[in-house]
Amino acid sequence: MLPRHGLMIRKLAALLLAAAPAFAADPPAAQPPPAPTTRIAASGIIGRKVLGPDNIEIGRVVDILVDAGSNPRAAVIDFGGFLGVGSRKIAVNWSDLTFPPTGCDTDIKLDLTADQIRAAPAYTDQTKPAAVVEPPPLKTIQPPAPAGH
Amino acid sequence: MDSLPEAAALEATRRRSFHALDWLNFFTANLQTAFGPFISVYLTQQRWTQGDIGFALSVGYAATMISQVPAGALVDSMARKTRAAGAAIIAVIFGALLLALFPVMLPVLLAEISHAFASCMLTPAIAAISLALAGTASGAAGERLGRNARFASIGNGTAAGIMAVIGSLAGPRAVFLLGAGLAVPGLFALRWITPAPQSPLASPTGARERIRNLLADKRLLCFAACCAAFQLANAAMLPLAAASATEKIGNEATLVIGACIVGPQIIVALLSPAVGRAAEKFGRRPILVAGMLALPVRGLALAFNPSATLLIPIQLLDGISGATFGVLVPLIASDITAGTGRFNLCMGVLGLAMGAAAACSTWAAGALADSSSHTAFLALAAAGTLAVALAALMPETARQKKRPGALALPVATDA
Repeated sequence: MLPRHGLMIRKLAALLLAAAPAFAADPPAAQPPPAPTTRIAASGIIGRKVLGPDNIEIGRVVDILVDAGSNPRAAVIDFGGFLGVGSRKIAVNWSDLTFPPTGCDTDIKLDLTADQIRAAPAYTDQTKPAAVVEPPPLKTIQPPAPAGH
Repeated sequence: MDSLPEAAALEATRRRSFHALDWLNFFTANLQTAFGPFISVYLTQQRWTQGDIGFALSVGYAATMISQVPAGALVDSMARKTRAAGAAIIAVIFGALLLALFPVMLPVLLAEISHAFASCMLTPAIAAISLALAGTASGAAGERLGRNARFASIGNGTAAGIMAVIGSLAGPRAVFLLGAGLAVPGLFALRWITPAPQSPLASPTGARERIRNLLADKRLLCFAACCAAFQLANAAMLPLAAASATEKIGNEATLVIGACIVGPQIIVALLSPAVGRAAEKFGRRPILVAGMLALPVRGLALAFNPSATLLIPIQLLDGISGATFGVLVPLIASDITAGTGRFNLCMGVLGLAMGAAAACSTWAAGALADSSSHTAFLALAAAGTLAVALAALMPETARQKKRPGALALPVATDA
């Protein structure tokens, strides 16, 4: 009984999927012509694997944070865990990510190691400003500490 | 004259059914593992957005809550509980296949709903089959339910291990195919079970007691409150502890968390039969109190835990309360509903109480943990103390022993 039901549902799903492009390809006559399109070499990043400098997997991209000036500022990475238990979502600085030139099957590189991001505050609340992991300054020149301070 | 071989044949059938029941528990436990938090890992890799994943999981959760009581009532109304269990297993396999093959919104929602309803049928149905097979012999019910919990936890722990390996080698989709594949032997095990002719749960007259009478039963209300307090304390503990392990030791936490999931299952497998026997010998209440005591201890230990590796021994305490609950929920439900024909409905009511409390637990503890996980663990320990208190207040549900000279236990009158 149930498998037959499943088949029906699958058929229904297939029908719905087939119907969607048919709708799009059939514009009403009175509409203005559609905007022109160009082809760009770019790919989506949600769900892609992120590797650290040591080529060890950090996690996967689950979200992108954009500021009011429509610039991407950070990527949220789902990090660690076992079968989905105990993972933490951590926002890392957008400019620390390096994207491979082609294809969406290749991995994204992050300048930070797992150890550098593990203890960062978790990204949980969309409505609050996010804490974003910044890379440690490569070389900081310490100003001479004033004596007796 | 030929009554002796006949009795032997009957005994052989019963034995075969008993072993088949072990395997049924083993092979159906893994279905719950695949459908847990792992779904969100899988859907992320299928490029789902966080909003969509949250929506799909909420639909599954809501479906479980809505299904608990009706699914229980449905199983009660079915004369053959093995048929109920078989339909449920097929529906869960169907859900796992849908998830693996069509990771888009509509099939995923269907999979979530079919899994929700099916597991609400499966858990009480297996318990009902077991209690019917165990019969009315003194101590047999506790013994059998102890075995059930043992084989279910072995199945669970094994599945978690295999799925972690398969998931990392062959990708998350393979985990659902594996989950579906592992459930098929469960169907064969079910075929080998010859149902008992008369269940001690069924009403002798065939008429089921009115639901209103069941819901007004003080023992049920008190036990449901205890179950809810248990989940209120328990549900958020592992996820929070695991997240804090990730915070402390990063990627190495994966192994620690794995041990925290599998370790308690080993404890459950070891303890459950003893819990079942002890509940028959000393009564339900002392065992329930003892098992619940592990909760506040675990909460406090986690609140003051300084290291990530100590998490593994602390999490083993989860096995103690897990074994207690795995055995006592169906056992107490059978005490309360003996002869009423409402066992599965009662299991549904308890499942609803536990599910709602588990959701509250993850939500509240998650909110507390945003500022301090120490506070969150203390709050969970407080909920665990409440569970202990409610267990201590529970009236004893074990039926009066028929042996002369046995300690008379207070028993509610079946007026």
